[in-house]
Amino acid sequence: MTTENHQSRDIVGEASSRAEVSLRGVSKWFIGRNDSVQALSGVDLDVEPGEFISIIGPSGCGKSTLLRVVGGLIPYESGTVKVAGATPAAARRSRQIGFAPQTPALLPWRTVRKNVRLLRQLNSRRATGAPLTDAESMALLETVGLADFVDSYPNELSGGMQQRVSLVRSFVLNAPVMLMDEPFSALDEITRGEMRYLLLDLWIRTNKTVLFVTHSISEAVMLADRVIVMAPRPGRVVHVETVNLPRPRDQSMEDDPQFLEHVRVVRRALQDVSAR
Amino acid sequence: MNDRWTAEQEASQEEPIKFDPEMAPAKPRRPFRRAAMLVAPVIGLVVMFGLWEFYVRMADIRPLTLPPPSRILRHVAQEPAFYWEHSWITIQEAALGFGLGLATALVVATFLAHSRFLERSTLPVIILVQSTPVAVLAPVFLIWFGFNIWSKVLVAAVFCFVPFVMNALTGLRSIDENAHELMRSVSASRLEIFWRLRLPHSLPYLFSSARLCLGLSLVGAVIGEMFAGSTGGLGNTARVGQSRLLIDQLWGSIFVLAFIGVGANLVLGGIESRVLRWHSSQNKAR
Repeated sequence: MTTENHQSRDIVGEASSRAEVSLRGVSKWFIGRNDSVQALSGVDLDVEPGEFISIIGPSGCGKSTLLRVVGGLIPYESGTVKVAGATPAAARRSRQIGFAPQTPALLPWRTVRKNVRLLRQLNSRRATGAPLTDAESMALLETVGLADFVDSYPNELSGGMQQRVSLVRSFVLNAPVMLMDEPFSALDEITRGEMRYLLLDLWIRTNKTVLFVTHSISEAVMLADRVIVMAPRPGRVVHVETVNLPRPRDQSMEDDPQFLEHVRVVRRALQDVSAR
Repeated sequence: MNDRWTAEQEASQEEPIKFDPEMAPAKPRRPFRRAAMLVAPVIGLVVMFGLWEFYVRMADIRPLTLPPPSRILRHVAQEPAFYWEHSWITIQEAALGFGLGLATALVVATFLAHSRFLERSTLPVIILVQSTPVAVLAPVFLIWFGFNIWSKVLVAAVFCFVPFVMNALTGLRSIDENAHELMRSVSASRLEIFWRLRLPHSLPYLFSSARLCLGLSLVGAVIGEMFAGSTGGLGNTARVGQSRLLIDQLWGSIFVLAFIGVGANLVLGGIESRVLRWHSSQNKAR
């Protein structure tokens, strides 16, 4: 199955020179004692600066692996990856990547204010770029409705509030590329719905390039400019859905026929994957 | 006029519902329960000492076998200088042993936490130390260090080392993997991950072993005083009291040691609730 090309990008070479994140024929194996799994097979992807990409697929399709390869957290065997004009390892060293893990992963001994400050304090000598100041971070915390909780400890916050802190924390480095690994998966449906629009709000304010891994089809479509559908064994891209919904998006679009049509197409693509 | 009235009406309707403390159901008042909960910890002690006193007097037990607690307390109150002098010696030995055991354990655990190979090769040694009744080392330390304070400090330190090292290792290892990956995503160094993630995460583990080691360090100091020969400390006063049949001095030493242990535990509890304010073990709503 071939990767469907983004409409605005018919010349691949030109696009990749502009791209904030670019993958060319990336393959990754997990070598086991008895069997080896190809987690990624010849993945090509170009992400423009400021673009929001959702990555969706069944378990084991390599979507988390893809995120970690881009983030320079795990090595890959073949192909090339460029992140913010550098290799993933170099981008990681110079703090060009904002990461949001699956759980809030706040440090329980730090207040909200100090948790948000954490990434700025780490590896600060080799870092390039301009992280947000304390005042700017506080403004972001205010945006997500946590102004009254900056001096609270994580165990005094609800799960949704903790996840909002985690989101703000990932934006504080002011890194051009954001990697989000199912950050809302542990939340209840209602909180999760609210978090989508909070994230979109932060994203529009900060103008970052986002790779967002998710299990939820409606979440993937509502957030993204493009939805990347992946399939397992070997992990690969099987469909790219370009979402043409206008921005800013809000809750009212969840009944929009165009939105529902995108959801239908993505679901069909996922069904094709599991049927085989 | 009419317009204004409707505007006001609308405004009053739009007013958000506020929390009115008057409307909330009153918290049931049970003054007796509260008082009972406050007194509860004391009750056990009062009952124990009361029964002891009562039994000794009623059954006419010889003081040599078991003196009544009132007599022991009176004796201690009559000899404050004597007990203070020897308490201070024992406290110094126990505290230095506690500190030395903790410091060594932290250094060892830090190395072990970073290398599975080191852990595998060192664990048998630690288990060997743990399984040995370390009290028998006291005479050895006496040979090495002589009659001075350090032979007792070392016994206390050996007592504390194993619990500290095991708990520190667990604390340094069992970190939140997502937080670890988050730190790696900005190329945090091992040192940064140690200071900002592993060490704070191990604090609750260290405090729970510190509770255990407070008692153990006192045991170590007293055993050191008894076996490693010494001229001071409460272990020594207890031993002399036993051999010269100074029964008040024997029991006085025991009481003062118990008091020191309780006091040290209270101090530690105070420090813990300040340092671990963020930890769920310190939740007030328990």
